[in-house]
Amino acid sequence: MTQPLAFDARSSSGRVGAITFDKRLIGLTGLAIRGFLLSLVTFGIYRFWYITDLRRYFWNRTVIDGSPGEYVGRGKELFLGFLVALAVLIPIYAAIFVATLSVPSLAPFGSILSFAILFVLGQFAGYRGRRYRASRTLWRGIRLGQDGSAITYALMATGWALLTVVTLGLAFPFMRASLERYRITHTLIGSSRMDSSARGRSLLLPWLSFYAVVLLPVLGALFAFLTATDFTLPADLFVPKPGGKPSETIFNPAYAGTPVATYGTILVGTLGLTASLGFLLIPFYRARETRVFMNAASLGPVRLSSTLKARQFYWPYIVYLLSIIGLVVVLGLVIGGGAFLLQAKGPASGASWVIGLGLVVGYLGGALVFAVLYVRVITARLWAAVATTTTVADAEGLAAILASSRRVGSGLNEGLADALDVGGALEVGF
Amino acid sequence: MQHTGPVASPPVATGTYLDGLSARAHPVTLRLADRLEIDGAGTRLAWDLAGLAAGDTVPPLVRIGPRGSPARVEFADPGFADALAGRCPDLHRSDAAGAGGTWRLVLWSVAAGVSVLVLAIYGVPVIAGRLAPLVPNAIETRLGGAVEGQVGRLLGDPPVCDEPAARAVLDRLVRRMTRGGDTQGEPLVSVRRHPLANALTLPGARVLVLSDLIDKAESPDEFAGILAHELGHVAAHDPMRALLAAGGSSFLLSLVLGDLTGSTILIATGQAAISAGYSREAENAADAYAVTLMRRAGGDAAALATILERIAGDGDRGAVATFLRSHPMTRERAQRIRSLAGPGSAGRQILTGADWALLKGICRNVPVKSAQ
Repeated sequence: MTQPLAFDARSSSGRVGAITFDKRLIGLTGLAIRGFLLSLVTFGIYRFWYITDLRRYFWNRTVIDGSPGEYVGRGKELFLGFLVALAVLIPIYAAIFVATLSVPSLAPFGSILSFAILFVLGQFAGYRGRRYRASRTLWRGIRLGQDGSAITYALMATGWALLTVVTLGLAFPFMRASLERYRITHTLIGSSRMDSSARGRSLLLPWLSFYAVVLLPVLGALFAFLTATDFTLPADLFVPKPGGKPSETIFNPAYAGTPVATYGTILVGTLGLTASLGFLLIPFYRARETRVFMNAASLGPVRLSSTLKARQFYWPYIVYLLSIIGLVVVLGLVIGGGAFLLQAKGPASGASWVIGLGLVVGYLGGALVFAVLYVRVITARLWAAVATTTTVADAEGLAAILASSRRVGSGLNEGLADALDVGGALEVGF
Repeated sequence: MQHTGPVASPPVATGTYLDGLSARAHPVTLRLADRLEIDGAGTRLAWDLAGLAAGDTVPPLVRIGPRGSPARVEFADPGFADALAGRCPDLHRSDAAGAGGTWRLVLWSVAAGVSVLVLAIYGVPVIAGRLAPLVPNAIETRLGGAVEGQVGRLLGDPPVCDEPAARAVLDRLVRRMTRGGDTQGEPLVSVRRHPLANALTLPGARVLVLSDLIDKAESPDEFAGILAHELGHVAAHDPMRALLAAGGSSFLLSLVLGDLTGSTILIATGQAAISAGYSREAENAADAYAVTLMRRAGGDAAALATILERIAGDGDRGAVATFLRSHPMTRERAQRIRSLAGPGSAGRQILTGADWALLKGICRNVPVKSAQ
């Protein structure tokens, strides 16, 4: 990893360049603790500088063919972008609010309307944010870049999203591949344009696994339920809860023990079970998608090649989940033990204050530990999994990359993405 | 690589030169003399040591280049790196905002956050108070409709009680109470069937009475007293003020506070604290208004105190009376109402017994729910 290029490019045709990531993660915990605490006391303003520090950390530890990446973005740029985004978003929020108030027929669709507007805006912002990150990334002194139009991208994404809804999700992998192609073919390294041959059909099988696990059992249970009820749902299946609030309903006890109840229970149970199974499938799909997209990306004769396994995506989540469970159990024992001790001592006047203080400290401490664990376990390990399973085929072609003289994009590009909370601080895979 | 004295030959290492114009890696020899000498096939450079900056790489890998230039040299030689660091004091200096910049940033963002918080908690209600009377009636009416729909949904869409004869009694009562008053036009008083003894004032001079309040009232003056109190809120534009204040504060807080950290919990508690109801001053003012109104309309001005105590007593026994929690201490309020009302109006009745009996049956048009 640390050996500089000592090869003669001509004699090593087909040379494979490695991508490595320093997995010791020295200094990351300190960075995360500092970022969390400063973000807390600054009402979140420090997060722009924290994100910048994190990116610099990850970029510098990712070594591609012997040379580490370089991130030259600034927290100040992100903060300015956030201010610009506020200037754009406040009038939009206000307009939605006024529109739903002044046109009463619009009121029931208020949330749908704002969701739709924010979705399109979010896609736009995500693309602009990627442009910012690319323009602040250097490798071997060569600046990356992204062209293309964020408006086109947002419209494409919106159209695909509608098509996905209409086709009951079947268009989803094709949407992902199409958007990936747009992103990659508009990514430039220096003056060299990347290319992607990502195809939706290579993602179809992993995507259909969701249907097999989630949709088929639910459809089966639903069919059984409808057959049991002769395809007519009794109108009084749910009755107002006795003595409850007017909006509360309970299952009508008159139907207890009938096939309606039995198959209804099966239906609800199947829904719960398959929904959680489907949730468990997400890392599998994401790993497959990342591998397909990586393998499809190229830069002239240079190709990327990924051997990413789904289990490498599962492991970080399992470790994170186990850590959280352990932490919650320990915290619960401490708080419960404290409460028990206080109760045994008798209701002292200061007891509630101690418990309140303990809860605040527990909440903040827990949030701190989760934030640090998330960066160390999820972000770093997923990043490492993608980086270390990817190699650069025909790496000598990299020497042909030339710097570009185009203008560097404005730092204001990413603020909207932050304000809309789309696109994480670190997107795994580029 | 090796520690060399001043007379020994200068440190040497091998590395890679990147010219910043292409990604081609040029193998070079680095020599640390008065300047950093870079030698390779077709490359012969010498960089000023004072102008060099190092990237934030993982040792032993080092990346250096002249500040502000895309050209770089990468090498992995700890000895050479140490020697270079000894000669270039500015090697690891970050450009603009160093540690001092961070603390200035922290200080000022804390100051900004605190001033926004203070504005949201103390400033916005004052601004809302000044603004509320200026809101055009048309807008307030429209808002009131929207809020009434929302409140209705929150309560589970209780049916409207408008048994015609009772409705006529109520309309007459309202007209009599608002004659010569300063409420915004004719208030819209509606009754809904609901097992909660409460009355709400909404923007646009809407008063929503829940039927249990009429059931709990033992005299027409008790009911009218509550109604007069709500009309006091209408006259003072309290609902519009509360709406503006809550909306303004939460908008301000959620805009400025990010969501990376536990700051969200601050917003939640802030909103809860802010939207807890009208202030004690607003309630007292509405009580005083109610006493004056009842006296002028020829009712028992102290009856409001009686029904307040009765409903609060229910609350103590565990029934639902959450709305009272945001009202100032009931006993204190009742005392103040009685001292304001004086003995003069005691025993007066605002409605005849027959009319009161009619009004009590206002929910007769709504069938009682069949369940239980």
